[in-house]
Amino acid sequence: MIKEIQRLKKELYRKKEEIRDLKKLVHKEIDREFQSDLEELSERELETHIGECFSSMKRNIDTKPDEKPITSHRKILGKPIILIKQVLSRITGVYSYVNLIFDKKTEFNRQSVALHQALLISFRKNRERMWQIEEKISGCEENLIIIMNKIKDLHLSLERQKNKAVNHDPTVKD
Amino acid sequence: MSIKDNEKLLNIIKNLKLSPSTAISEFSKEIDDISCEQGIQAAYNLLLRSEVILNIRKPCLAIYDHAFHFIGGAQKYGLTLISVLQDQFDITIIANKEVGHKDFYAWYNLDLSKCKIKIIKIPYFEERNTPHLDPALISKETENPFHLVSKESGNYDIFVNNSMNEMVYPLSNISVLICHFPERRPKSYFYADQYTYVIYNSQYTAEWIEKKWKFSPHQHIYPPVDMEPDNRKFLKKKNILSVARFEVEGTKRQLEMIEAFLELNQKYSEIAKGWKFILVGGSNPKNNYLSKLKNTINANPEKNIELKINIPAKELKSLYQKSTLFWHLCGLAHDDPSGIEHFGMTIVEAMQNKMVPIVYDGGGPREIVDNGVNGFRVRSKAELIECSIRLFKDQKLILKLSESAQEKAQNFSRMKFEENVKAFFDRLLMIYNPLQENQSF
Repeated sequence: MIKEIQRLKKELYRKKEEIRDLKKLVHKEIDREFQSDLEELSERELETHIGECFSSMKRNIDTKPDEKPITSHRKILGKPIILIKQVLSRITGVYSYVNLIFDKKTEFNRQSVALHQALLISFRKNRERMWQIEEKISGCEENLIIIMNKIKDLHLSLERQKNKAVNHDPTVKD
Repeated sequence: MSIKDNEKLLNIIKNLKLSPSTAISEFSKEIDDISCEQGIQAAYNLLLRSEVILNIRKPCLAIYDHAFHFIGGAQKYGLTLISVLQDQFDITIIANKEVGHKDFYAWYNLDLSKCKIKIIKIPYFEERNTPHLDPALISKETENPFHLVSKESGNYDIFVNNSMNEMVYPLSNISVLICHFPERRPKSYFYADQYTYVIYNSQYTAEWIEKKWKFSPHQHIYPPVDMEPDNRKFLKKKNILSVARFEVEGTKRQLEMIEAFLELNQKYSEIAKGWKFILVGGSNPKNNYLSKLKNTINANPEKNIELKINIPAKELKSLYQKSTLFWHLCGLAHDDPSGIEHFGMTIVEAMQNKMVPIVYDGGGPREIVDNGVNGFRVRSKAELIECSIRLFKDQKLILKLSESAQEKAQNFSRMKFEENVKAFFDRLLMIYNPLQENQSF
């Protein structure tokens, strides 16, 4: 029995090692898509997320697809087909109208990215100002605590002196 | 196949035990069926489990950490865990860079000579010649380089992932993820929820696992802290100690603590007279934050502040024994949860040595220090100053809090850790091998 188990194990191990893809090893999809809830992100995570969004937006500013050359894979009929396609595209003028739309969209995208960047810079400046104010408040709190402690100490010292004076005053009867 | 779907499987293995010659063909057929329906790994896992249940061999366990070649608290946690289990399991330590038994002994005083070490180099990081394998560099456009470790995990009965790295997909029968803190949100190659069990080091960590990963972890085991003094007689000096890495981002707030100490000396010169502030920690050679601290200290040379960087363990132990107060402000003015102390091992170390801790009121330290009972928890530099002045003026309070602190610290001792680890893995083995008696190999 032990020998049989070990034989089976050796065989399975060999087959296992040949498979590179984990999905094939376990017969199921192992990767999933996740959506982040932006409300839950910390400031540091939001900064990273903003950076990623900007990179993606900048990559996609230009919405115009690359103009593909007019070709044909046919050997004999290829040349006449190309000629017909070229004539048709000039007659319909489709490309030029579509290009107008794409140009407008690209310009809008560019302005949109620029606006977001400006808003982000403004937000960061305000945040910087807020941090400076918080630090000033923190400094005032520290001074307040120190003053309160000094008042307490003064009060205690006065009490002690008062008690001392009372104890030494011969006119105070027991 | 889930480890808990074991009724049919156990019956097959029971039959193998009772009448091996007749049951073996049924067993082989079951292996083939599982292989076709659930994949080769599931069939292989069945064989591995059968070997353990049939008492053919000891159960085998692997522990992985992508940072085993560095000294760290998380790495100490994982290696101390397996030191407890060396007799019960055949253990393999999996690392991505060269590291050896001598290193583990030198860094953590752990004898792991009974464990094998397997180095799996990751080509993606080898090509970039980076000592630190950062999972954050991997996006979904890159092939997951950690799948080399995922594949290896399928060769063991139990796979323990001690890394802050959820990109390793567990293939073993039982898998355990030790979460020191959930740094990443679920994104590309996220598999933390695929582990059979998730162990967490503090309630703070558990809270953030639920918030970020949307599931509840399974087992709480506080880290082992073993800085107990050899000699119970303490000759305390007027020292305030801070022990924390000098992180480049300044997350441990050493600068703020130095500012607080300087203010104490300036505004309470009589009361603060004679007190010294010593900051201890590890640092890489080029560290702008450390340079900033040195400049601040050098600008106030008369103010009795000392920096001690990368000191040996013996010297650190001596400082713990001589010092009276312990300051720890990590988390101050930090909204990011990963910047707040997840547990606070150095706080416990200080408490074990009868120091009074004054710590930031957030994160893991809240579970260690009870405000006013065995230390203080503060939310600002101002409160840090106030609590310190109170202690400077009141020796009796220091004595009372320090004794209470030492008592509380016993909850986080190495012995407690070992008890909890043993209990957890004993339960795992009971589930894995419900037919076990007192097996010996």
